[in-house]
Order: sequence, then structure tokens, then C-alpha cells
Amino acid sequence: MWVKLFGYLALAWGVTLTATSLLTGSWQSTPPKNRPIKQLTQEYTSSDSCQSCHPGNYASWHASFHRTMTQVASIENVATNMDGLNLSFNGTDYRVERKGPAYFVRSKPAEAPEGAFGPRVQIVLLTGSHNLQIFWTETGEGRTLGQLPFAYVVAEKKWAPMEHTFLVPPGPGQVYQNGDWNVACYNCHVTQGRQRFVSKDKYDSQVSDFGISCEACHSGGREHIEKNRNPLRRFALHWSDGEDKTIANPGRMAGPASSLVCGQCHSIWAFKSPAVEIPWSRGGAQYRPGDKELDSRWVVQPTTTDHPEERAALLKSDPHFMNERFWGDGMVRVTGRELNGVLASPCYQGKKFSCLSCHEMHPAKTDAASLHDWAHSQQMKPEVTTNQSCLQCHPGLKTPTALTAHTHHPAESAGSTCYNCHMPHTTYGLLRAIRSHQISNPSVRESTELGRPNACNLCHLDQPLAWTADRLSAWYGQKSPPLSADDHALSAGVQWLLKGDAEQRLLVAWSMGWAPAQKAAGHDWLYPFLAFELNDPYAAVRFASWKSLQSLPGFSGYDFDYTVADGKQKEAVALTYRKWWFEQRNPNGGYRPETLLEADGSFRQDLLDRMLQERNHRKVYLAE
Amino acid sequence: MNSSDRHLRFGWWSLFAFLTLGVVLEALHGFKLGWYLDVDVEMRRLMFTLAHAHGTLFALVNIAAGVTLRTVKGFELTRPASLALLWGSVLLPLGFLFGGLVIHDGDPGLGVILVPFGALLVLYGVGSAARTLDKIK
Repeated sequence: MWVKLFGYLALAWGVTLTATSLLTGSWQSTPPKNRPIKQLTQEYTSSDSCQSCHPGNYASWHASFHRTMTQVASIENVATNMDGLNLSFNGTDYRVERKGPAYFVRSKPAEAPEGAFGPRVQIVLLTGSHNLQIFWTETGEGRTLGQLPFAYVVAEKKWAPMEHTFLVPPGPGQVYQNGDWNVACYNCHVTQGRQRFVSKDKYDSQVSDFGISCEACHSGGREHIEKNRNPLRRFALHWSDGEDKTIANPGRMAGPASSLVCGQCHSIWAFKSPAVEIPWSRGGAQYRPGDKELDSRWVVQPTTTDHPEERAALLKSDPHFMNERFWGDGMVRVTGRELNGVLASPCYQGKKFSCLSCHEMHPAKTDAASLHDWAHSQQMKPEVTTNQSCLQCHPGLKTPTALTAHTHHPAESAGSTCYNCHMPHTTYGLLRAIRSHQISNPSVRESTELGRPNACNLCHLDQPLAWTADRLSAWYGQKSPPLSADDHALSAGVQWLLKGDAEQRLLVAWSMGWAPAQKAAGHDWLYPFLAFELNDPYAAVRFASWKSLQSLPGFSGYDFDYTVADGKQKEAVALTYRKWWFEQRNPNGGYRPETLLEADGSFRQDLLDRMLQERNHRKVYLAE
Repeated sequence: MNSSDRHLRFGWWSLFAFLTLGVVLEALHGFKLGWYLDVDVEMRRLMFTLAHAHGTLFALVNIAAGVTLRTVKGFELTRPASLALLWGSVLLPLGFLFGGLVIHDGDPGLGVILVPFGALLVLYGVGSAARTLDKIK
């Protein structure tokens, strides 16, 4: 009897609890107030709703760095354990502590005692996970974000001040102010972000998804989901292999529209006018994948004449806009803006070429190892990591004979890899040189007139420009521009490293660690120059020099803190130079004079001094 | 053959068949076959697992039906109910199995259409058995 009673009571209790939960919505958690939140819209349903029908595509997206572009901060997705972390920058000490599943940071003036640490501020959002991770904090002003002024350099397992992760002039400064995420970063680092300006420096920002998720490229999924609840519709599509018009598919679009799907973020763009920013702020972008234009925005190409009024207004408001983003001939010089390069490429003109000619977002193999390799190889199609990406449209160069005749390099060498000549590393980003996405032909003229290191000399670092000019003239009929005496006698790479501006110095310092360049130019002579650049005024150049030094024999794993003050760096330079001189330098000499070294490997001091006096000290600020 | 023998024989052979399927599925795990284990074939795994589980379960239901027929005085299954239970026990798990052979992303293959038919037959058979038992004093 009592068992029956107990059973009925338990059942009644369970039903009551369940019904109460359903009716009151108590199963729904309250959204946090101190950071941007995920809020679905009429159109956007978030990637959560894609997984059940598209598990393979969801898995590849989940393995990608698009997903982790922005994440809600938790102990699971922070790149390193931050509990007990102490950092100092620009006269302020920071201490990070873990409380439960979250991290909090406190700060005080550097000279103040321990007890002066201020209140805890929660770290609420993260940007990045692969190269760098950046940390955003609550500010107490609604969903406005502040920033911990440090980035975690993932590969090095090191912390660096934010300003040391950009190619910007040296000097203390906060790279990001309160609200900058809500004004700038959210534009491209989330899916369908809505800034939702409230009042000065206060925002109520929302997103459809953190990170770049399914709907960023496929458009809002609500109609697609509603229509495809019907199994008859779904199976009709399965069997016909027809296009489902309720969802955008960049893989089925013509080249320009497909490229613009990536280019909505991966381009240099500007708002068409201040007026369009208001609806943008409230409702997010009106551009939808498949559209021919960006709607409220336009892609800024220096070499075209479209959008004349917007162009004039832009240059009036920011005269340095082009310079900070493009080389003098309009080639883009910062990373993450690949569409600008693609638009200017001859390959694009046929309307078939697009980002998906070489990259894929959803590889066929979805096992963990394959997805890991894919994510870490810039999401390249496996069949196009070789010349195949170009040979698919240029089959005439397929045979080794034809290839060698074209490149004048052995078929299996780096000089016969299409990318190395036509997509050299002349773009800067993420503390390194990155391939330009404007398919171009190398020339000496681009170096003499624009200062852009050309593909030939980025590999043949030891050769003068005149050497390159002779070959380009003999092989391709290129007319040699006027060249100085130095350009005839001295290595172009060394000249750029010593005389060049910060970007030139970085591109060359990075190239000195690039295996094909070390093979073509030799590596024995690189050490003293990389040691010298460990004390470059620009932190990013110091970083690139250090990493390149690590690639050389005898310096693997060489420790160097590229963020410390000038005095300590000078000490590091001296130690590094000594290490090279006594451990790696060839005691039999043989160093070549065009590399600014005496036969025994010491600097040709008079030339070195002159080069440094002629160094271009213009302030370089690359808006990465 | 009487109804009881029919259900017992079917039940034990069906149990053998679907337990064997279970061994096969474990072997697919053991040998880490991508055709079964890759992330994008989650629907296949689900379908095959459902086929194994339902086939085994309905085999036991048929064995139970056979034993009930032999031991409970006055309990009889009508021929339609008996056939419905047998056919449902074949169609439903086979529907899952066929639905997993060819999949379309998050959808099973068209063979899954057998499942609702099998389900209705099983429900009819089991419902009939429950009603019949209810009438026995």
C-alpha cells in the first residue's frame, strides 16, 4: 500500500516540477549583463541549429579558427592557465585570478603596494586562439568591453603587450580603448553583430553567433530550416542534387559573388556614409551572401575610380588611409584583406576564380587528424598546396620541361613553385610576413619605385637588385629601371634590412628564416644581421628576427624576450653576436662583400654605418 | 506449426541475427572504419544502432509472446495480430538498417520508410496481446 502511495506521490512531484519549469521558463538561463550576448533574430538561428542536419560541415567549422575568432571566455577556451598571472605594462601592474569557471583581473599603479590592487574585473570575451589570443573585460558600462593590454602569443607560450603584436611605432600606449571592440572588432569577428549604441561609450551589443559561423557565409538559416522540416522537400533535394534556394552556397556562386562572401570581412572596406552606420549599428549588416555588393559598405581599392564621393570623403577624413594599408601601386600590404588582392589579380577577371579555387571550408575528410591538418594549413584544398592550384587553369606549364622553361629554375625547386614568384610574402600580419593575394609578376621596378621587396630578392636575399634586373631582362624582356651604385654592388636584402622602413625590415627579417631563402641565399651570413635586428625599435621586427634566428643551426630554441626594454635588448644582441662569432662563424671566412661582410664575417663597418644613417625612420603604422 | 512455436522460432533466430549485427558494429568500432565512425556519418551510426537495438528487442518480444502463449491458459493471439507482430519485428529494424546504408548528411536513406509501417504493425500486435490478456480472468 505504502509503495503505491510513494509511487503516486513521486510521479505527481515529477510532473509538477516539469510542468512548472516549462511554464515559467526557468530552464532558460538569464543572459549576462556585462558582455555582448548571443541573440537570435528573425533570420539568424546560429550554428547550433545546423549540426543535426549537417554534422560533417559542422565538424569542420568547429575545428576551424573561424569559430574561435570570438569566444565567450572560460577556463576551457583560454589558451593558457592564467590563474596567478602577474603582468606589468606602461606603469600598471595586472594580476589575474581564477574564481570558479572565470578569470578576473585586478590592477594597480606599478609603484603602489600590494594592497592597492583594485576591484576584480571579469575577462568575458576572447579574440583568437591560433596565433594570438586577446582578452576583453567587462567595464561596468553595460555590454561595453575593455581590454587587458596583453596578448598571448600562442606558439611561443609568451605574453606580450598588445602594442608589441602590431607593426606600430614604438612607445607606450593602449592599443584598444574601452568600447573599441563594440565599435570596430565586432564588425568582422562575429556573425551578424549588432553594435546597439546606447550613449557615449556605452553599448548593448548582440551577435547571432560568436566567431564566424555557418550563417556568416550561408546567410540566415531560419527560412532554410522551416522549409526543410518537410522530409519530402529534403529528399527531393537529396535525389536531384539541385540547389536549395533557401540558403546561400558560396560553392555554387560565380567567382565575384563567392569571393565577396569572404571579402565581407577579408577586405579593406569603409562605410558609404555616416548615415548608414546607424541602421548598421542597430540591425547589423544588410549584405547577404550572394549579393553583388556590400550594401552599406564599399571595398576600397586605391587603383579604381568607383564610389568617387565616398572615396573623396574617406581621404578627407583620413589622409593616411591608403598608405597604412596599401603599397604605392595599390597592392594591399596588411593581412586579412585578401579580397583586395584577389580583385586586382588577372585571374579574377575571368569571373571563375575565387577564394574557393584554393581554399575550402568543409573538407571531405572529417576525422580529427585530417581536420587538424586542414585547419593548420590555412584551410587549403589538399590538392592545391602544390602548383596544381595554378595548373588547373594554366595546364600548359604542367610538364617539368615547360615549367623549367617558364621559371628558369629546376622543376622541383622553390623557384618553380608558382606561389613563390606570383604570391610572395609582401603582406604583414600576426607578427610575420604573409603571402600577397594579388597574383603578380616580380619586377625590380616595384622595389625601386615603391620599396616593396620583390619575390626574387626575398629568396635570393644575398643578391643585388642589378643581378635580379639582369635575369628578368634576359628571361622575360623586362626593362631594367635606373639602379644606384649600391643596387649594383650590395645585397638588396641587406639594404632593406638596414636602410628600409619597419615593414621592409620585417619582411626581410622574416624571409631570412624562410627555408627556401636560406637554401637559395645560404644561411651562414644571416646571423649577424638577425642579431643586429634583435634591437630594432619595432617589436614586431625584433620578433621576426628572433624567430628567423631560431631557424638557423646552433640557435634552435634560442631564448629572447622581444618585449623588454632597450638596454636588455642591447645586451641580448651582444650575447647573440658573440655566440655566433665563436660557435657558428666559419673560421675559414669566405663571406661575400655584397652581403656587407668582410671575408672573416665581421661587418664592413663603414658601409654598415652609412646604411644605418640612411635608414628610413618614417613611422610605420599598419592597420592590420 | 502453432502460433507459439512460430513466435519462439522467429524470436530465437531473430535474436541470433541482430546479436550478430551487434558484433559486426563492434568490429566496425574495433577496426576504426571511417565509413562508420567519421563525424559526417553520425546518421549511419544512429540508424545501425537503432536497427541492432530494435531487432534484438523485438526478438525478445516474440520469445515472450511464444512463452506467454504456452504458459498462460486462455491466451491466444489472432492470426492477424500474430502476423503483425512478426512482420513488424522484421520491417522496423530492417528499415533502420536500410536507412543507414545510404545517408544524406543529417537524413537517413529512403529505406527508413519501412520503420513507420513496422512500428504500426508491432503496435497492433502488442496492443492485441495486451487486450487479450486483459480479458482473461
